[in-house]
Amino acid sequence: MSPMGRGTAEEALVLLRRRLCDPNFIFSLFSDSPDSNYSKLKFIVSSSITEACNNSILLLGPRGCGKIAVLDLVLEDLLKEYPEMISVIKLNGLLHCDDNCALKEIARQLCIEHELMFSKMASFDDNSQFMIAMLRECGLAHKTVIFILDEFDLFAQGKQRLLYSLLDAMQSVTSQAVVIGVSCRLDADQLLEKRVRSRFSHRKLLFHPPPKDDLQRLLKHILLLPTDSSLSHDYITEFNLKISNILADKRFMEVIDKLSDSDSTFSNFIRFLFSAVSLMDLKSGLMTLDNFKSALSSIQRQPKLDCLKDCSVLEFYLMVCMRRLETKGQELYNFNSVMNEYKSVHDSYQLQTHDYHSRSVCLRGFEHLVDRQLIEFADRGHNQSMEFRAVKLLISSFELHQGLKSNRLLPVILEKLMESKN
Amino acid sequence: MNKVDSPQVTKRKTRLSSSCTPNAIESATTTINLPPLTLRDLVFGEEEPLTYDDLISSLPGRRNQIFELVRLLGPVDSPVSPIFVYGGASNGKTSTILQVFRHLNRPFVYSSCRTCYNARQLFENILNQLLLHRKSEINGYSSAKKCEKQADFVNLLKEALVGVVDSLKVNLGKSSGGSVNGSMVYLIFDSLELVRDWDKSSTILPFLFKLHDILKVPDVGLIFVSSSSLDTFYSDTGFVDPIPVYFPDYTEDALRQILMRNQPNPKLYSAFLDLVLKPFCRVTRKLDELSAGLSPLFKKFCEPLDDLEVNPVGENKRKLLNCLQPHIAPAINEILRVTTMSSQVNMKKKKSGASDSIDEIEFHMSTSAKYLVISAFLASRNPATLDASFFDSTGGPANQKKKRKSSEKSKELKEALEEEQFMKGPGTFPLERLLAIFQCITSGSEYPLEEEEEEEEEEDKSLMSDILLQVSSLCSANFISKGGSCPLEGSTRYRSTISEDLALKVAKSLKFPLTKYLYRK
Repeated sequence: MSPMGRGTAEEALVLLRRRLCDPNFIFSLFSDSPDSNYSKLKFIVSSSITEACNNSILLLGPRGCGKIAVLDLVLEDLLKEYPEMISVIKLNGLLHCDDNCALKEIARQLCIEHELMFSKMASFDDNSQFMIAMLRECGLAHKTVIFILDEFDLFAQGKQRLLYSLLDAMQSVTSQAVVIGVSCRLDADQLLEKRVRSRFSHRKLLFHPPPKDDLQRLLKHILLLPTDSSLSHDYITEFNLKISNILADKRFMEVIDKLSDSDSTFSNFIRFLFSAVSLMDLKSGLMTLDNFKSALSSIQRQPKLDCLKDCSVLEFYLMVCMRRLETKGQELYNFNSVMNEYKSVHDSYQLQTHDYHSRSVCLRGFEHLVDRQLIEFADRGHNQSMEFRAVKLLISSFELHQGLKSNRLLPVILEKLMESKN
Repeated sequence: MNKVDSPQVTKRKTRLSSSCTPNAIESATTTINLPPLTLRDLVFGEEEPLTYDDLISSLPGRRNQIFELVRLLGPVDSPVSPIFVYGGASNGKTSTILQVFRHLNRPFVYSSCRTCYNARQLFENILNQLLLHRKSEINGYSSAKKCEKQADFVNLLKEALVGVVDSLKVNLGKSSGGSVNGSMVYLIFDSLELVRDWDKSSTILPFLFKLHDILKVPDVGLIFVSSSSLDTFYSDTGFVDPIPVYFPDYTEDALRQILMRNQPNPKLYSAFLDLVLKPFCRVTRKLDELSAGLSPLFKKFCEPLDDLEVNPVGENKRKLLNCLQPHIAPAINEILRVTTMSSQVNMKKKKSGASDSIDEIEFHMSTSAKYLVISAFLASRNPATLDASFFDSTGGPANQKKKRKSSEKSKELKEALEEEQFMKGPGTFPLERLLAIFQCITSGSEYPLEEEEEEEEEEDKSLMSDILLQVSSLCSANFISKGGSCPLEGSTRYRSTISEDLALKVAKSLKFPLTKYLYRK
């Protein structure tokens, strides 16, 4: 392995990071196949542009499957193909779920698009009339307005006035608009009111996590450096050779399998690649299998187990006492009953005195457990002081066992206490 | 020693006050003309950027996390996915991130969801920093932009970010702008876990986690800092997880290194830590609690010493350690106690000495207030149905009746009841019951009450109004907590919050036979 100049390696790293942070680059891989969502969506939208009709589609699928990225790619292409014939209005349910706010945003974006003055003071009715008028104008000019409603399910909360007025405006012959709803709820169309649903065409495109062979293609697409870049030719061949070796490695496939076992969406995959790439050694400028392995362990964390590793001896005692109460069949317990158990455990097992703390110190340990979200108050009694509020453990006995095992500093007696019944 | 706080303090100093000259500070009463903020103010302070080695040595025990963060942030001007930094309280998350930015010397915007206590404050704070706006007397301490809604925030933020990034790029081109590295801006959201308690948190949290996708500005990096892990941020339809960076609690070694910093006599302190750190760590490994707890103990440790410069070796050291040994266990109990409503008052009392025979309470309270406290305690502990038998005018509690009752009950039932008492805590009572019990125990002729007799002579009405005032002041002092209203009666219900120990002590100071009136199951 020849030592590369820091500059070259850094340049390659920046290039890889750019790619990973650019969804357009990642999903452009799938745009050529005819049965991809990209092609379907493009066909639907472009036909409604050319045929000058109204349309509505829902893009559904779990988070991180590239709904918005594919949509962006399609729009980008369509804007190139039909310049001056499309204007895009983008709304997001997280930002504009309030009808007033949404209509204002539509008016604002329409104004920017058509170089008009936008008035902040306009009322809901003004904006809604403005929108209908604009739709008519655009229809007469054979210009298609594309409404993108991200987080579509959030628009379906409340009275759905926005959806109704939008879809109702599209019933007229003169208008020419496409409404594209994007949601991670597969039942998003069931959320619509009857009057809205009847005006909605029930076209749906489903997005899925990528199958395995797509992942392989994607890996090559992302990780192999382009041969036509400004980097030195020798470096590129060396880098790509190394990557191909890793991709062919059986151990690498195991890592990928482990990753997709828990979450096989694009976003998880890209997160994984991002942290692997950022671990790349800048001296050699090459990626290693270890980079991917350590990226996997940093992405797939188990927060409760991590939390348990940090717990002090006292906190473990308290949790074990709660666990014992649970095995005894006591469903509800609070600090006082835990303290009783703690005391009886101390009495019957002759614990070392330096692990038997006063009540108020235990209360602090108890507070820490609440802070760490290992236990939670089971009631909403804000009025009652903490000692009396019922709590419940948020970890299973298996997790507690794991925690006990992973912590070497703990007294052995704790494991015994977990197992014994009395 | 306050390692945790120091970076924030310096940051605040550098951001706000250190940019004005000492003269300006002297004339602080008149208007201070701070120089306008520049892009230079977006990086960490005016000190020289840290080297990587200095960075590692300034934060003991955080080597892996620093490495991970620096790697994730990547080389200058490389885009970054959102990062989520989490780990328990006071284990150096904020200071590590700020110091990492000092090392990288890149522009960033830091805002804590603790000081920015609602969405509007948070949004305006970020915009102010990005727009290089300073709240001052001239602008009436107003923000640069008024912004409450998330939709407005996104538009304004996009505008501001593009502006800052553009001017950073221009600066870079001029080559004189070597003081700032790169043209990316990082937004740091600290104490994100608090957002869960804001109203509308169900929309703000997914919004913040999705902000990077919504903005679609490649030159911005988002860093979230939280003391609880991602799985505690529930939301209806979820969000794409940011890249997690976990900060585990400090190990004992790291704690020792941190505590040893800035000690005038390291050898002495190290001998002290040898003895003390282990037992304390069995209870807590939180730095803030430890540093607060250890300093009084160290004073005690130094007491037998004339010369603090002494180097403890051999015999000398052993002597010192022996002196301290008996103090450790009580110190843990004393220092690490939690001040809850019921123990708050106890703590004040404990100060007078370690002996258990303290009869007098160290806080001042009028006699009638003491009676009220006792009445409230009785009302909370005793079942309301037994009030008549305890306080009826024929005198004294019906002891026989009580005994018969307890003998009737089987042992199991008794245990179940005890359990119930443990679970339910003190009961609630209406004001009328409190006043009735108060009347009963103060007017009971069996117990001559010198102080009360004077009050008895006064007019009844004035006494009552005075008592009501006292009830409300006891409520605000947390001796009695005011609860929600009872759904049936519609009147406000109260609850006594004091512990039995305290009630007994108060009763003792009045020579009132509390145990006689207390219902025992």
